[in-house]
Amino acid sequence: MKTLFKLAWRSLWRNKRRTLITISALIFAVVASVFMQSINRGSHEMIVDNMTRFQTGYLQIQDYRFENEPSLDNSFYYDGDLERELLEQDDRITFVLPRIETFMLAADEQTTRGGFVFGVDLEKEHQFNGLKDRLVNGRFFDDRERGVVLSQGFSDRLGLSVSDTIALIGQGRFGMSASGLYEIVGIMDHPLPDMNSRTIYMPLETARELLSAEDKVTSLLIGMDSDRHTDAVAANIGHFLEGSELRVFTWPELIPELLELLEFDLVGAYLMSYILYIVIAFGFFGTILTMTLERIKEFGILISVGMARLKLAFTLFLEVFIIGLLGVIAGVVFAWLLLYYFYLYPIELTGELAETVIDMGWAPVLPMSFAPDQFYTQAVIVFFIAILIAVYPMYRVIRLDVISASRS
Amino acid sequence: MAVIRTEKICKVYNPDTIPVHALKDVSIQVEKGEFTSLVGPSGSGKTTLLNMLGALDMPSSGKSFIGDVEVTKLSDKERINFRLHNIGFVFQHYNLIPVFTARENVSFIMMLQGVAQKELLERADELLESVGLGDRKDARPHELSGGQQQRVAVARALASKPRFILADEPTANLDTKAAMNLLDIMEKMNEEQKVTFVFSTHDQRVIKRARRVVTLVDGAVHSDKTTTPDNTVKE
Repeated sequence: MKTLFKLAWRSLWRNKRRTLITISALIFAVVASVFMQSINRGSHEMIVDNMTRFQTGYLQIQDYRFENEPSLDNSFYYDGDLERELLEQDDRITFVLPRIETFMLAADEQTTRGGFVFGVDLEKEHQFNGLKDRLVNGRFFDDRERGVVLSQGFSDRLGLSVSDTIALIGQGRFGMSASGLYEIVGIMDHPLPDMNSRTIYMPLETARELLSAEDKVTSLLIGMDSDRHTDAVAANIGHFLEGSELRVFTWPELIPELLELLEFDLVGAYLMSYILYIVIAFGFFGTILTMTLERIKEFGILISVGMARLKLAFTLFLEVFIIGLLGVIAGVVFAWLLLYYFYLYPIELTGELAETVIDMGWAPVLPMSFAPDQFYTQAVIVFFIAILIAVYPMYRVIRLDVISASRS
Repeated sequence: MAVIRTEKICKVYNPDTIPVHALKDVSIQVEKGEFTSLVGPSGSGKTTLLNMLGALDMPSSGKSFIGDVEVTKLSDKERINFRLHNIGFVFQHYNLIPVFTARENVSFIMMLQGVAQKELLERADELLESVGLGDRKDARPHELSGGQQQRVAVARALASKPRFILADEPTANLDTKAAMNLLDIMEKMNEEQKVTFVFSTHDQRVIKRARRVVTLVDGAVHSDKTTTPDNTVKE
């Protein structure tokens, strides 16, 4: 084995330049495929992250009727006892985030626009999604203050700014009229472009008062130490809620349309990856073909003197294996370094492209995903291609005519 | 018992299109310790017969024996293993493994045989000493002259302790001095260790020193002459 490995290793470096070029091609394949995946997944992760943090949460508890009829009538009672019981269900739950949300009309003296009102516990909300950091003007409200914070797009649509007064008109719980005047104490930049054009934040208690929904919430978001535990924690909460009117939903259950859209968006990326794999496979095969054909006589001699065909085939497999392994490992290292740079400094889109992306409802940046699985997935695919190509020299050796090979 | 024996072997190439009869009913026998040359003009069937003797190729008809084993009945896999343990090869173009040193080239065959590491290294060193290359054992083939490479090839052929060595035009690419040096070494091994050599050759220098000369013409044995130690020639 040691001698066969030595033979394979030294044979590889017989033509250093060619071997290095081949390894470079594999490095390029891994880096390019990881990079493409990272761009797509990065955008998707950002969208999902913003969606979960600012809208759905990774886990959300609702009244079972709320899914089909998202009305304040389907809000539910929430107090410290429920919070404590939920926290006791699973050690991985870090906090419980209450929200009350509804659609209302918002108006100034001349204009009326529809918007979503979110009654939130500011401190908990900030802990979950860094809400306070998104303030661009003014300040955030205090508990129970009759002040609101508007998303920037919404304030632009209404032509209102800090210190102006906004009128909110809508329907409270059980058909009660809900209306009031509120001071705009701050303007924030909502990360979801769609929500940025129609969001109003106000203190939870103020919202409850406005909507005649004392002690009620429309949803509870569950904070966890890691989103990887979503399913496990959901199962535990599900057991706890059995027999009640409350249900726990995971984020894919809450935004299935978005997930379908993102998957559809990935089709193009997959197609590009497949084209890249095919190009790399043919390039690699060309090199292996040359390496094989120029050594046919040597193979014939080795078999003549008594080297078993399988041993020789294994030696050739080792050569391809080593090239593949070196290429893939180096590729992962280079890809990691490249992605880490772009992870720290995302590429910002400008000009018309940026506007187009914003119009599509996405942020105008190219965020890179740093998910570990994309490294090993792409590495395994490229390595598998390399190993698949090793079949050719092995087949040639197994079928080799020793006499004609020795004369070649 | 003869080391090699063939019984009426024939080899026909392209039997279904334009048949070429490379060997016609060749029956020869090589005894242990012989120093035999297969000679003849180009196309006479020397290399084809050498391939049959070395179990590299199969005859179209007839039988071929090495010791008491009928090699014509062996499968490809069995023949490879049989060659490994029974036959040494020396090729016209040396055909050493270019990425291995002289010592590694010689020990490689023993490694394939499963000889223990310590033993194979010792034997490789001994063999390289015996062909006068004890001081070049760490040199790779491209660092050696043609004559030196061919001596490494002889040492490699001997490494497996074969029943006989087949050499295809071993001196064809060597100058006179190197060819004589190689022949001296092989002759010495033949005399002292009773190693059996069978050459195919055009080279008069080899033919003159061979004690048996089998001449092939058009695929058939034309003559078979043996020179006895007292220099009388028997047909």
